[in-house]
Amino acid sequence: MNDIFNVLLLQNTLRAATPVVLAALGCLLTQHVNITNIGIDGMILMGAFFAVLGSYLCGSWVMGIVFAAALGVLLGLFYYVFVIKFGSDEFIIGVALNIFAGGLTVFLLRNIFKVAGSFSDPGIVPLPTIRLPLIEGIPVLGPLLSGNTLFVYVSWLLVPLIWVFIYHTPMGFHLRAAGEYPDALTASGKSPEKMKCLASVLCGVLSCVAGAHLSLGYLNMFAENMSAARGYVAFACVIFGRGNPPRVFMAALLFGFIEALGLRMQKYIPSDLTAMAPYVVTIVMMVAVVLWERRKKKKAGLEQGIG
Amino acid sequence: MSSSLMQSIRAVLRLKPSQRLNRDYLLSLLIAVALAFLVGAGIMLLCGGDPVKGYTALFQGALGKPRALGNTLAKTVTLCLCGLAMSVAAKAGVFNVGGEGQLYMGAMAAAVVGAQVQNAPAWLVVVLALLAALVAGGLFALLPGVLKVRWKVDEVITTIMLNSVAIFFCGYLANGPLKTADRGIATGTDAIMAGAAFTPLIKLSNLTTGVFYAAVAALLVWYLMTRSSVGFEMKLTGENDRFARYGGIRADQLMLWSMVLSGAICGLVGMLEVFGLHKRFITTVSNEFYFDGMLVAMIMRYHPFGVIVMSFFFAILSIGSKSMELSAGVSSELMLIVQSVIIFFMAAEGGIRKTLANRAVVRRARRAAAGRERAQ
Repeated sequence: MNDIFNVLLLQNTLRAATPVVLAALGCLLTQHVNITNIGIDGMILMGAFFAVLGSYLCGSWVMGIVFAAALGVLLGLFYYVFVIKFGSDEFIIGVALNIFAGGLTVFLLRNIFKVAGSFSDPGIVPLPTIRLPLIEGIPVLGPLLSGNTLFVYVSWLLVPLIWVFIYHTPMGFHLRAAGEYPDALTASGKSPEKMKCLASVLCGVLSCVAGAHLSLGYLNMFAENMSAARGYVAFACVIFGRGNPPRVFMAALLFGFIEALGLRMQKYIPSDLTAMAPYVVTIVMMVAVVLWERRKKKKAGLEQGIG
Repeated sequence: MSSSLMQSIRAVLRLKPSQRLNRDYLLSLLIAVALAFLVGAGIMLLCGGDPVKGYTALFQGALGKPRALGNTLAKTVTLCLCGLAMSVAAKAGVFNVGGEGQLYMGAMAAAVVGAQVQNAPAWLVVVLALLAALVAGGLFALLPGVLKVRWKVDEVITTIMLNSVAIFFCGYLANGPLKTADRGIATGTDAIMAGAAFTPLIKLSNLTTGVFYAAVAALLVWYLMTRSSVGFEMKLTGENDRFARYGGIRADQLMLWSMVLSGAICGLVGMLEVFGLHKRFITTVSNEFYFDGMLVAMIMRYHPFGVIVMSFFFAILSIGSKSMELSAGVSSELMLIVQSVIIFFMAAEGGIRKTLANRAVVRRARRAAAGRERAQ
């Protein structure tokens, strides 16, 4: 068992969780403005592709990130225009976006790189790993905290930042108001639509950057359908964490842990079975959050003498 | 926060009351299709292809020969059934996004029964496999249904997750315990009994006698939904479940059963694929068929005739895209892009139309104001 449960497992957990963390942070912003973004999975996939494209064409990982982020802005605007401006069904747009992403990436893969299935090339410049000189020396924490790729740290920074933004800045307050009570926001002279646009664009950028991390920081290649329902998992994490960044982060870590554990168990259990685990856990999480909320409500009812 | 979250979840769950297909909507559909084809032509030009040649190959490849037409019709049936499965659940107010997984489970169950039952007449094997597929698909839909009805767990996420679970699980079976010893099959189960497979209606095409099973299933469901009291109660539940409960309808039960029925239909699709096309379970038994059928049903607003026509059109795109790739050198995935463009436009149809109308009003008002100024 020592070859499974060791520091490497925790390291892999962080790596596997990061794309989900980034996408979930984007998703929770849209959730706060009351947009249900089912299309995150497609955004991750397209982000992953364009990051590889940028990195390969320009020979620099920075350009990979720029490509992915620019695409994210476009996708966020697209989502905003179609869902808010045109009032389309979020669900249809989201699912169609995922199908579009699958078609587009494979099409481009075959027409730009002339390969089918997956593209890996030494020309793809991966994200740099960052070493923290002082922390590196600490026994267990050292290898865990140091030597990760850039976006692992970015995601750690973003969790408190977004938490502060949502709950402790005027703009975050407006953002939440745009979701919970848009009329009040309009009455105070602010536009709920602008807030929705902001959230949607940020969600697009974060999802695409999550994709960039997946293709440049985690695997250093692009493979067909490599997002593997992570967008939906991110969505589930947001529901599980009830839109609160630290809680969402914990949920994503749990997902990452299960995925990493599955990868390391492949020696003992067929890979198809281990691959199932994260999705099963997500369902269990969804049930747990509902039961949990119920119990809380019941308790509150008892305390007030109603229950 | 939690209230907005619940609202948004509810927004996903709630179907906009299905408006009728009217002339305006169909006109928009034509425009959307034309625009999507233009987008496709533009991409072909960018990639150095010839759009006229590409589209000719597309339609030739889908309709040109009897065999091609047969394949297109078979694909139409698949899409229609998937759309039907979506509609059944949607009418009762549940979103079954897990059809893909239910399809896999149905296909696997049918393949196992078809291969394992020995010394039985072929018709019995077919019947047993059919039952197995219906049960497997239905049971796999039961779980999210129960979670939804009992604990109000959002079925959109659970069904999507169960898709991955089913696909990996069937992959495990086809790679592991049930892996065939036949040569040339990478990941698949044993072949079904030779005589039990459906016979093609058009030589060498995928259109088989399975289409009759599909037709019977569709008729039964149509009868249930539009001519029976259960169907009426389902519709009431879907439109306003609180009202339905007030009227003494057991809404939870109906939601659950409509979910199970939806799953069973998906299981049937899986069985038809196995007995009609592959003759065994293979891991690529479906390629997101359910999502295509689901989206077709949604943009056609669950209108039966509309769904059939649109399924036929999407089947043309899907079947024709392969020969387009062979003879015109345009990657077949382009048609996925064209399909999604159509869906984007149709989902936004109402909004785009309103925006255009508003602009027209503003323009007219401006012109009128300018005219008045000139008159003064």
